[in-house]
Amino acid sequence: MEIALENVWHSYDGETYVLRNISLRFRSPGTYLLIGPNGAGKTTLLKIVSFIIRPSRGRVLVDGASFWDLDNASRDSIRGSIVYVHDKPILVRGTVKFNVELGLRLKKRVDESIVEYYITRYGLKELENKSVNRLSAGQAKTVSIVRALVTEPTVLVLDEPFTYLDSTRSTLLIEDIMRIVRERGGMVLIATHYMYRELKALATEFVEIVNGEISSHAKNVFANS
Amino acid sequence: MAESIFSITIRSLYVSSVASLLAFIAATLLSLVASQLTRRRAEMVLSFFESLVGVPTTVIGLLVYMLLFPGGPLGFLRILYTPYAIIIGEFFVALPMAFTTMFRHFYSLRDSVRELVLSLGEPEKHVPRLLLRELTPILVSSYLTSFSRAIGELGVALIVGGGIEGYTNVLTTAIAIQTSIGNYEYAIWIGLILILITIAITFAVKIVGEYILWR
Repeated sequence: MEIALENVWHSYDGETYVLRNISLRFRSPGTYLLIGPNGAGKTTLLKIVSFIIRPSRGRVLVDGASFWDLDNASRDSIRGSIVYVHDKPILVRGTVKFNVELGLRLKKRVDESIVEYYITRYGLKELENKSVNRLSAGQAKTVSIVRALVTEPTVLVLDEPFTYLDSTRSTLLIEDIMRIVRERGGMVLIATHYMYRELKALATEFVEIVNGEISSHAKNVFANS
Repeated sequence: MAESIFSITIRSLYVSSVASLLAFIAATLLSLVASQLTRRRAEMVLSFFESLVGVPTTVIGLLVYMLLFPGGPLGFLRILYTPYAIIIGEFFVALPMAFTTMFRHFYSLRDSVRELVLSLGEPEKHVPRLLLRELTPILVSSYLTSFSRAIGELGVALIVGGGIEGYTNVLTTAIAIQTSIGNYEYAIWIGLILILITIAITFAVKIVGEYILWR
């Protein structure tokens, strides 16, 4: 899969643009790291790539086709292969297990063995019947990451995934990212402040965003041409 | 011989539960419509209803009386001094409470549930079902809170119901009437019943909202 942003601009209020003239291309398999200060526009960019937000201007191309000009059925089909994990986890009321299974429940294909595998792998086994209201920030973050992993997405988009995660879980996540890219030929986009050595080695490209624009240094390397 | 406390209680429960159910349905529909507004306009609608929560029930009773008295716009219905008149009055008492308790959550949850569904790669058609699931505790507590407000009000019940024994006498009017004629013991018993109902509702809201549905 290839996702390309073509001269993308975005504003939430119609006045201030949080993204300005962004042109980027992401291809499978690959790992893309987005770096930049707080408020630079990383989250908005990731949400546009994940088709959660429609950009104010510009086009989002999926294998050459403009996503927002496609019919609903085609859009839903493409959207089904992409999962985005929020910086601040959005959990629904219920147990840890219910939340982990949510994506699969919506897809109507709950696979207990995969759920069990990831719950155990990320140390959530003892918490699986606990209400998500009683989780620590790190546990809630882990639940939202595991919820994405169990759906086995082709494209995984992670917004600050290492915030609140302990080193053990961070290492596990990096291993899973490597598996998605190397074994399944998928694509992972990550906005992060934590630059782990393994992650650096894994990265296909770095994209630096400052004030809603690709920084000049990164632009030379990454702008589609 | 005064009317039995049991029959007054049953009438009170009936009138208030019908009024608060109607208010709850109206508040849900209003919330659905208002949730389509921009955040700024939605805040304005919310502020308007928040200010209505504080309107004295005697004023609401007076306005409903003006609607229903024989020369009023709805006088032809001939329902003044009937339980239906109290239901209409209590509907207006309960509506702002029902709306304000549900709308703020309604608005913020709608956005976050939509984001969640899309972030999981699912189409928007899944949003209403998941939103309803998330809203259930809020809807339950909204209904119970508006019921609590309706059953505890006096102004409307007295002005448009008249406290007619065996017909429109509810717990609050019974307390007022019995106290005015010096039947304090009877009034105290009715008061205790009203307090018990209010406490039971408060506990129900707490248990339903925090311990069962939020788990």
